[in-house]
Amino acid sequence: MNVALPIVSLPAQAEGTPADEVRPRGPVADARHHLEVDRVWKSYTSGVHVVRDVSFSLAQGEFLTLLGPSGSGKTSTLMMVAGFEAPSRGAIRVDGRDVAQLPPERRNFGVVFQGYALFPHMTVLENVAFPLRMKSVGGAARRRAAMDMLDKVGLAEFAARRPRELSGGQQQRVALARALVFEPDALLLDEPLGALDRKLREALQIEIKQIQRRVGVSILFVTHDQDEAMMMSDRVAVMQDGRIVQLGAPDEVYLHPETPFVAGFLGETNLLRGQCVGQQGGCAVVRFADGVTGPARLSRGGARPGVGAAVLASIRPERIGLLARDAAADCVVEGVVADRVFLGRHTRLVVQALGRTLVVSAAEPPAAGVARGAVVRLGWSREDAQILNEGGDATG
Amino acid sequence: MARRDAVGRLALYGACAPVLAFLLLPSLVIVPMALTKGQMIQFPPIWISVHSFTDYLGDPQWFDSTVLSFQVAALAVAIGCVTGSAAAVALHGRRFPGKGLVTGAIMAPIVVPLVVFALGGYLVFARLHMVGGWVAIGLLHGMLVTPYVFISVQTSLQAALNPLLVRSARSLGAGRLSVLRHVVWPAIRPGVLAGGVLGFAVSFDEVVVALFLQGPQTVTLPVRMFTAIQFELTPKVAASASLFLALSVLVLLAQGVAMRRRGAA
Repeated sequence: MNVALPIVSLPAQAEGTPADEVRPRGPVADARHHLEVDRVWKSYTSGVHVVRDVSFSLAQGEFLTLLGPSGSGKTSTLMMVAGFEAPSRGAIRVDGRDVAQLPPERRNFGVVFQGYALFPHMTVLENVAFPLRMKSVGGAARRRAAMDMLDKVGLAEFAARRPRELSGGQQQRVALARALVFEPDALLLDEPLGALDRKLREALQIEIKQIQRRVGVSILFVTHDQDEAMMMSDRVAVMQDGRIVQLGAPDEVYLHPETPFVAGFLGETNLLRGQCVGQQGGCAVVRFADGVTGPARLSRGGARPGVGAAVLASIRPERIGLLARDAAADCVVEGVVADRVFLGRHTRLVVQALGRTLVVSAAEPPAAGVARGAVVRLGWSREDAQILNEGGDATG
Repeated sequence: MARRDAVGRLALYGACAPVLAFLLLPSLVIVPMALTKGQMIQFPPIWISVHSFTDYLGDPQWFDSTVLSFQVAALAVAIGCVTGSAAAVALHGRRFPGKGLVTGAIMAPIVVPLVVFALGGYLVFARLHMVGGWVAIGLLHGMLVTPYVFISVQTSLQAALNPLLVRSARSLGAGRLSVLRHVVWPAIRPGVLAGGVLGFAVSFDEVVVALFLQGPQTVTLPVRMFTAIQFELTPKVAASASLFLALSVLVLLAQGVAMRRRGAA
């Protein structure tokens, strides 16, 4: 019984890979709980569409994040999966069964909200036992299951406390335990960390990941914080104006954004205009300002720009290298350093080049000797310049 | 500075004391008058006897009126708590056209002048041949209690019922009834209690409705006091008034204790 792991103190790697975790799922352990959101719309009679044609699926044990600014439809999508809002069109399936018409209490999702929404008049144990009570699990079995789950989140000794007597982190663990105890098909987390300060946030992010690995549950997570999304997710769906504009692994979405919005939303980037002058493998050859020419990666789904077409490329500041005098790169640019800020882990250079400013994030050793006014050679590889699709059909 | 503070404070107390005395004396003067030896209600009283209390409780008419008042108040509170809480829960967090109108209708009994309300009630119950029965008074008092419970339940809903609690409960498998029982009820319980206690006080000393709807067998305690003070000036009036006073002090104390306990928890 007493195998409770002190979660907070555990290093992230001590858990083993998620795949060989034992899943406490009884006889249905090997069934793939598969959540599928299929061409879902949410429209109001006023003609406003808050969710447009959203489709994604969540595999067993996967951590998928809906990432977007407020008003992008991410929370509405989650609420439709949870059953608090009805989709105007489309299907929501669990293991092939459409649940879109079921009320929330007849779906099988554990939902965790911002602030955790623990029942203030119940003890921690009663909170965790609540869903089992609603499913008419008998007193003794209920207690045992709730205690087991509290044990798993390391809170067994707090069973008799009231929620308000716990710290924010402990409350989160109670909320997770309560959402997990009835073996839901997936956990739905609606900005659970939205109101917290940065330090606590980071600690709780790690905790959520650890609990997920231990229990092996699938998670659908909603946030507007791109760092949080990248740190926690197996896949990220970036949402804008009710649509998923890009869905992929965090590094994929970050390094190879498909639209200017995705490029900008996930972090700082340099957007360079140019003209397509040819194609080469999966790349377009682009002529930027000042006659500088270099290859840039084409997006997988996007249209191929023809020769002569205007294109827009995104290059992350940390992907632009400071080149030694004789070093080569796929694309090389010369510029003058206009500003230099030391930021500890890296140094941020603002370089006047290509008739504009480029932001470069460089490690200190190469950047150390660079002063304001110095002439530098910058370079990047074909993989790091990404051609963007501008506004869907605009690329032609 | 400290000296100016002290002077200012003294001036403040000096100004407040007469106001407090003015507010409290009319209530407190009742008690010595009930303790008179004489057969008339008079001031100053002739010290000191409790005969007016024993007379009051020994007189079957006065005793019946007291029981009747409790009966009426109990019915009124029962009705008011059910309707007031139901209305508050139903309207909580909902938006629809005409919500203001519905709220207005619920509040009407304490906004409409009491004589108008009582006269209307009289006409309706006369038609139904219910004038002179305690149930009619209880029903009308129930309407008077409803807004009080409504307001206090509304307040506790706003304070204690996070809409996310309801959503959480639903996602954890609770149907609408279970949500009412396990989430809404614990949140509104203090409001229902407070509204009920206040409503009891409202019904217990209500005169206008009780006067309009009185019958030979249904004279509530305040109505009996009202008529007694006009015709016989008996100190029983002061004795029963002291009972009222004791009741309301008890209620105030109970509320104070409850508040402190909630504050500490």
